[in-house]
Amino acid sequence: MNFQLSSEGQEFVKKELKRYETKESAIIPCLFRVQKENAGWVSSESVGYLSQLMDIPEARINEVFQFYTMFNQVPVGKYHVQVCCNVACCMAGTREIIEEFCKEHNVAEGDVTSDKRFTFTRVECLGACDKAPMMQINDDYYEDLTMDSAKQILRGLK
Amino acid sequence: MAEVKMLTEHYADDSYCGIEGYQAKKGYEMLKKALKMPPAEIVTMVKDSGLRGRGGAGFPTGMKWSFLPNNGEERYLLCNADEGEPCTFKDRMMMERAPHQLIEGMIISAFAVQSKKSYIYIRGEYQFAVKVLEQAIQEAYKAGYLGQNILGSGFSHDMDIYVGAGAYICGEETGMISSLEGLKGQPKLKPPFPAVKGYLRKPTIVNNVETLASVIYILRDGVEAYRKFGTQKSPGTKLFSVSGDVMKPGNYEVPLGYKLKDLIEIECGGLKLGRQLKAVIPGGTSAPVLTAEEANRATLDYECLADMKSMLGSGSIVVIDDSRCMVDMLGVITHFYHHESCGQCTPCREGTGWLNKVVSAIKAGNGTQKDIDTLCKVADNMKGRTICALSDAAALPVLSFVPKFRSEFEYYIREGKSQVRGISYAQMHH
Amino acid sequence: MPKCTINGKQVEVKDGTTIIQAFKQLNEEIAHYCWHPALSIAGVCRLCMVEIAGNPRLQIACNTTVTEGMVVSNNSPMVKDAVRWGLDFHLINHPLDCPICDQAGECGLQDQYMKFGMYDPEMAEKKVNKRKAVDLGERVMLDTERCILCSRCVRFTEEITKTNELGIFNRGDRSEIGTFKDKPLNNNYSLNTVDICPVGALTSKDFRFKQRVWFLKDKPSVCNGCSTGCSVDVYFNKEGVWRVKPRHNEAVNGYWMCDTGRNIYKNVNRVHTDVEGERGEKQVKRSISRLVQAVHRMNGQSEYMQTSFALEQVRTQLASFKKGDVALVVTGQQTVEEYNSLLGYFTKTFSADDVYHWQNNPQMWGEFDGLLLRGDRNPNTRGLLKAFDQYSIKSQPWTQELSKYKLVLVIAPENIAAYPDIAEKAALLKNCKSVVVLTTSQLTPFANLSAETLQIPLKSYMEKSGTFLNYNGVEQKFSPVTTVVESAVSAEEFVAVLGGQTLAAVQKFYANPIERVENQFIHQRGEM
Repeated sequence: MNFQLSSEGQEFVKKELKRYETKESAIIPCLFRVQKENAGWVSSESVGYLSQLMDIPEARINEVFQFYTMFNQVPVGKYHVQVCCNVACCMAGTREIIEEFCKEHNVAEGDVTSDKRFTFTRVECLGACDKAPMMQINDDYYEDLTMDSAKQILRGLK
Repeated sequence: MAEVKMLTEHYADDSYCGIEGYQAKKGYEMLKKALKMPPAEIVTMVKDSGLRGRGGAGFPTGMKWSFLPNNGEERYLLCNADEGEPCTFKDRMMMERAPHQLIEGMIISAFAVQSKKSYIYIRGEYQFAVKVLEQAIQEAYKAGYLGQNILGSGFSHDMDIYVGAGAYICGEETGMISSLEGLKGQPKLKPPFPAVKGYLRKPTIVNNVETLASVIYILRDGVEAYRKFGTQKSPGTKLFSVSGDVMKPGNYEVPLGYKLKDLIEIECGGLKLGRQLKAVIPGGTSAPVLTAEEANRATLDYECLADMKSMLGSGSIVVIDDSRCMVDMLGVITHFYHHESCGQCTPCREGTGWLNKVVSAIKAGNGTQKDIDTLCKVADNMKGRTICALSDAAALPVLSFVPKFRSEFEYYIREGKSQVRGISYAQMHH
Repeated sequence: MPKCTINGKQVEVKDGTTIIQAFKQLNEEIAHYCWHPALSIAGVCRLCMVEIAGNPRLQIACNTTVTEGMVVSNNSPMVKDAVRWGLDFHLINHPLDCPICDQAGECGLQDQYMKFGMYDPEMAEKKVNKRKAVDLGERVMLDTERCILCSRCVRFTEEITKTNELGIFNRGDRSEIGTFKDKPLNNNYSLNTVDICPVGALTSKDFRFKQRVWFLKDKPSVCNGCSTGCSVDVYFNKEGVWRVKPRHNEAVNGYWMCDTGRNIYKNVNRVHTDVEGERGEKQVKRSISRLVQAVHRMNGQSEYMQTSFALEQVRTQLASFKKGDVALVVTGQQTVEEYNSLLGYFTKTFSADDVYHWQNNPQMWGEFDGLLLRGDRNPNTRGLLKAFDQYSIKSQPWTQELSKYKLVLVIAPENIAAYPDIAEKAALLKNCKSVVVLTTSQLTPFANLSAETLQIPLKSYMEKSGTFLNYNGVEQKFSPVTTVVESAVSAEEFVAVLGGQTLAAVQKFYANPIERVENQFIHQRGEM
C-alpha cells in the first residue's frame, strides 16, 4: 500500500529540487517520476508522499497534478494507447479507429482492459498532423495509420 | 517564388542533428560572430529585420526585447517549444532535425538580451525531441558554447530543458511562466508583461523556437538580405505546417507573402483527386476559417490574413475539401477548447463548455434554430473578456464557421443530420 | 496623486491606486467577486469591467492602475451588457438552489442578478454536476457546485494563514475548490473563508440552517475573546445572537477574526448548546447557560429573588462593613466604565489593598499566533491595569484563600471558556463567610460553595455600552447590541444601586432603548 519511490527515484527528487531556481519547479518532473514508478499513474497517496518528500503543501502538488493531462489520475493498462482526435486526425479517421479498438477489446474509453494490457484514450493534437492519423503508445508515436495497420500494431505489442 | 530553404536548408541531412554535422554546415559560426558584437547591435539588427514572433501572435521580436528594463535585474530567456496549437508541427521538426540550430539561436539571443539562464519549455508529448535536445545541450556544453565564459568572450550562459505535462495553455507565455514556476499553467494578469516581470517576477523574454532560430540568419545575411524575403511588414521566411485534405501534407518553408493557393497546389500537390476546396484554416484552429474563395485570394502574411479577419497564427494550415461536414469540424474544435480552458476566467471556463455543449447537441441531432444565435452571442461575449487569448481562440472559430457555413448548420438542425455526410454524427461517434 | 473621473465624478487618488479602489473611495458601485482588498489580485471573475475613454476594449478595474486624467465609467450600455454576460457565465453551471442555500439573502450572485439580470437564462444545456455537502472538518461545509471559482478562499489560505489547505483542482469547467483528499480545514481562521465566499459554496456549520439572514439584524461591536479586540458585527434577533463576523478595522484586525473569537456570542445567549456528530448520534459537546435570576444559597438551600431585592440585600450587608472587611475580585473582562465605577467605589469605601486580579493562566499572556489571537484571552486587561494605576491599586494576582474577609465580591469572567481555573478559584473561597458573585453564566463551581453565596446576573458585554482597551492601547467603544437577560445588571448599575439609588432609576439612566424595527426584512448586509 504505502507508496515509496525507489532509492534512485528519491535521489532524482533531491536533484530536481536543486535543479531549478525554486523547488516548486520540481513538482512536474517529480510527478512524472512517480508516474513512471507507479505503473503509469499517480495515486493521491503518492501525492501525499511527494508532499512530504519535497516539503511542499499537498494542495499545491495536487493542483499541478490534476491540471496537466499527461498525469493519469486512474490506473492505466501496460500500454496507454492515446489516439489523437483533433482536427487533422479526425479527418483522417482516428475516431473510427479508437471506437474499433474499444469494441475489439470490449472496453470503454479510459478504462483498463480486463487483461490489464490496454487503456484507450482520446487525446488532443500531438503535433504529427502531416502523418495523420496517428496515435501515441506510451512514449512512442505511430503515424500514417490505417485501420488495419493500427490493429496490427496493437497485436505486435508484447 | 517558391519554397526557400533558409532554416530548413540541411534538414534532410541526418548528421545535422549532432554537433559535428551541424558545425560542418557552418553551425555556431554566427555565435562566434555575435559574441564579438555589442549586444545592443544584435537587438537593433533583429528590430530592423522586422522579424515577428513565429509562435502565433506575430509580435515584433526586436520590440519585445527592447521592453526589458535596464534595472540590473537578472534576465531569463524562455524558448516556447510548447507547440500546442492544433495542426502545428513545425517546432517539433525543427527540434528533432536541428537541435543545435535552436541552441545557437538561443545563445545569440541570450547574449543580445544579456541573459544568463534560459529554458526550453517543451511539451511533454514530444519525448523524442526532448531526448534529442538533451543530448544536444550536453554537446554544446562540452564544446564550450554553453557554460562559463563562452569561447573566451566573458559571457556566461546556462541552458536547461523543462518538460511540460499536457496543457495547451502553457503555450501562452505567462501560462508557460506559471508552469515553469511549478504552478498550474494559468496565464498571469498583464500588466506587468513578462519583459518587465516574468519568470520569478524577473524580466523575461519568451520566444518561439522558429523565432529564435531565425536570429542566426538575420545575423548571417544581414538585415537587408533577410528582408529580401517576404513583404514589407512581414519579412523573412516562415515554416508552414500543412495538413488535412492535400496530397502531400508536411512542413514547408516559404517566404511570407506567398500565395496560399500556390502552397496548396504546388508544394502540397493539390487536393485529392476529384475533390473541391471548401475551406482553409490558415493559422491553427484558433484562426477564423477562410472560405475557398477567400483562400484562393489569400497570401501568407500577417496583413493579408488580418484583412480577411483571420490570422497567420502559428502557420498551421488545415485544408478542408468538400467531403467534410463543417458542423463536425467545429465540434472537434469546440471540444478542444473546452478541454483546454484553464478555468481561471469565468467567461472562458463557462463559455467554452457552453459552446461545446451546443455544438454537440446540434451534432447529435438535437439542435434548435435558436442555437445558431446562441452560439454567436456566447462566442461574441467571450471575446476580449479574459486574461489571455484562449477565450478569443475558442470564440473565433465559432464566429467564422457559423456565419460562413450557416446553411450547413441550419440544415443539420432542421434535418437532424449532416448535409454532407447524410447521417447524424450521433450514429457514428459516441 | 493622479486625478481621475469616475462616472463623471472627479477624484484624486494615491499613486498606484487601482480603478476599483478609486470606485470604492468614491463609494461608486462596481460589481466584483474575486477582488478583495486584503488579497492579491486574481482578475478572474471579469465582472469589474469598466470603460476607459480612449480604449476601445473594456478593462477590468481591479488590475488597472489609475493614471492622471483617466476618464472611467461603468454605467454605459456596453459595460452593463458585459457585466450581464459576465453574470450569465457565472450562473450557467450554478445550481440555483437558493431556496435551500444558506447564503441566500447575502449572496453575490443574487445581488448582481437583481441589478443586472432579471432575465430568463439562455443556457438550455445540462449543467456540470459537482460534489455537494463536502465536509471540511469541524467548522466549514463546502458545496463545489455553487462555487464560482473566484479563488478568494484559496488565496486566503495561501496568503493570510499560509496554511495552504485549499486549492483549485482540475481545470476548465471541471475545476473544483477543495482540500487535498477532503482533509479538514481546521485552521483557526477557517471561517473567514466563509465570510469572503461571495456565494454559498463555503458555509459555517455553526450557522447554517439556523436562521435566514433577512430575519436577522446586525450591529457593530467588539470581540471580547482576547486582548486584540477585533471589530465585529453581531447578527441577532429576538431569540438571541446567532453569529459574529469581522468588521473591517485597519487599526486592529483588518478584515479578519479568528474562529475562537466567533464563539463569543455563545456566552450571551440564554442557553447555548454545541452539538457534535451526525444525525441520530448527536452528542452535546458543551452547554453554556446564562444566569437569569438572582439566587441566594446557604446550607444547601436556594432562594431565587428579583435582582433589585438582591442588590438591596448587598447594599445593607456592605453598609455594616469597614475597610479590610471586604475583598473585590475582578478580571480583565469588564469595561473601562465598569472598572471606574467599581474601583472608584471600592477604594473610597474599602481598601485598595483588598482588590485582587483574577488572571487566567497569565503564563500564556505573552503568546500570539502571528495573526490576531493573543494568549491573553481578556478584552480589557490593559483597561484594568490602567484603572488600577488610576486608583493606586497594586495589581495583585488572586492566588490565595480569601477567608480573612467577611465578604468577598467577585465580578466573574464572562468568557468562561477562557478560564480553565474556575474550580480552582472557587476552592479559594471555600472558607469564606459570605460571597457575592456577579456573573453572566450560571458558573456552577461558584454555586456550590460552603459560604453563603449570592449570585447576581451580570449583563454580558453585548447588553451594555462600554469601552475596551486592547493589548496595543487602542480604545474601542461599543454600544449594546441586544438584551437577552432582562434581569441582568452591569457592574456600573450595580455600583450605582450600592450608592443608594433604586435599580429602576439606575436602569432608566443607563437604558439603551432597543430600537424596534417594524419591518425586520430591512437587513442590510453591508460591504461584501
